[in-house]
Parts: sequence; C-alpha cells; structure tokens
Amino acid sequence: MAKVLIPTPLRQYAGNQKEVDIAGATVGEILTSLTSEFADLRKHLYTDEGKLRSFVNVYLNDEDVRYLDKDKTAAAPGDTLSIVPSIAGGGR
Amino acid sequence: MIRIEAGAWAVMLEHAYSAYPRECCGILLGAENPGGERVVSAAFPCRNAYEGDQSDRFQIDPRDQVRANLKCRAEDIDIIGFFHSHPDCDAYFSATDLKNSWPWYSNIVLSIRQGAFAGAGSFRANDDQSQSETEELTYPSALPAPAADVAETAPGVESPS
Ligand SMILES: [Zn+2]
Repeated sequence: MAKVLIPTPLRQYAGNQKEVDIAGATVGEILTSLTSEFADLRKHLYTDEGKLRSFVNVYLNDEDVRYLDKDKTAAAPGDTLSIVPSIAGGGR
Repeated sequence: MIRIEAGAWAVMLEHAYSAYPRECCGILLGAENPGGERVVSAAFPCRNAYEGDQSDRFQIDPRDQVRANLKCRAEDIDIIGFFHSHPDCDAYFSATDLKNSWPWYSNIVLSIRQGAFAGAGSFRANDDQSQSETEELTYPSALPAPAADVAETAPGVESPS
C-alpha cells in the first residue's frame, strides 16, 4: 500500500483526488492498479507501447524510480509515490 | 486569470535577479478558486537543473517538485504552475517553453533586462501542447529592488546603494 500523489492537471482523471491509497508490493503493481482504477490516467502516463512517458517522472519518496529498480522497485507500506511532470524550457 | 500575492512576487523577482544573466525557474503554489481565478500565495525557487548554457534554458529538478509537494500537503495548497525568467529578452512563451510544458498549469515568464524587471506574462498550454494562450496576470505594482551583487562584495562590507 502506498500513497500516490497525483499532479494537479491529472486530478480530473483521478476522481478529482490529490492523493490515492493504492495496494501493491512494487512500483509497477501500484501504477497498474492505479491506472486500472482510473483508466483515463493511463494514456497520460504511458505510451501506446506501454512505456512510461518521457515527460512523466515517478518518485518513490524522494528517489526517481528510473534510478532504482524501475517498475520492480519494492514499495513498503507508508511509502509515497509521486507522479511528477517534467518541466523545462528555453529559447529566444 | 492569475494573481500573485506580494510575498510570492518578491521571491520570484529575487530569484530571477540572483540568477541573471542565467534563467531562473521555480514553482507556483496556491489555489484556484471556484470562480476560476488562480491565486499564487507562495513561490518555491528551484535550482536550474539544465546542464549546459543556462542563459536561455531551464529545467526544473523533479525532486524540487517532490519537496514543494510536501509544503503543499502541509498547507493544503497546490502546485498551480511554474515560473522562469528570460534574461535580456521579452516575457513571451517560446516554442521550447511550450513543448516542455504541461497543459493546465500557469507558466509565468519574467523579463529581466540588464538585471532589472522589465515585464511578465502568464501562459497556458492546450491539451496537446500545440498552442499556448495568454492568461490575464496581476502582480503587485511595488517592486523589490534588484539585490546588490553580493558576489563582488566582501563579507561584512555594505554595498553602496
Ligand atoms: Zn522561456
């Protein structure tokens, strides 16, 4: 069970909730169960090929899961999983 | 429509001044009221994580958003957007800004010319980030002055005003 924090723009696809408690032993299990509960979230988080979109970051507590064990990263009860938008810019 | 409260505005300008001539970036915290007006009650300055020439590039470190989320949860406010500066350049939303933004958020751009505030704009991307719309922006008219260049001042020595 982890607390999943939904970024403001995606809350409309998650029953207007800021955070959702989702069961699962790994990051992958939690995200799968999150996107089956809220199907509209899926296309915002994953590509058609089922890969996490490049402009979506997933943090377990304060670590990027890409640098942990990705989908297989173990989540302990009480952990916080944050979906974090990539934001950048520049150019004149 | 988005309104910036005085404390947040001071943090934004100070962050832009201290980063100049590089771009600064940060997170806008606050709420959208039922009438659709957004109020920025706090600004969360971030380090510019872009690796390379930062005079016309910025990248928000996702870990700073994780930290900002802690503040939001404690104070029951939300991340409602982001800000960055354009050193010696107008306050517009560039194609790169648009491509690397997200829909829904307010994106405030501060123009800083020769180290001083020279205008601001707020922009929102559409759902597929193909276009942005200007959003009506209000901010306090009293501006904090650019900070003295502390890098050239010896510790304990007051800089001339
Ligand atoms: Zn820009």
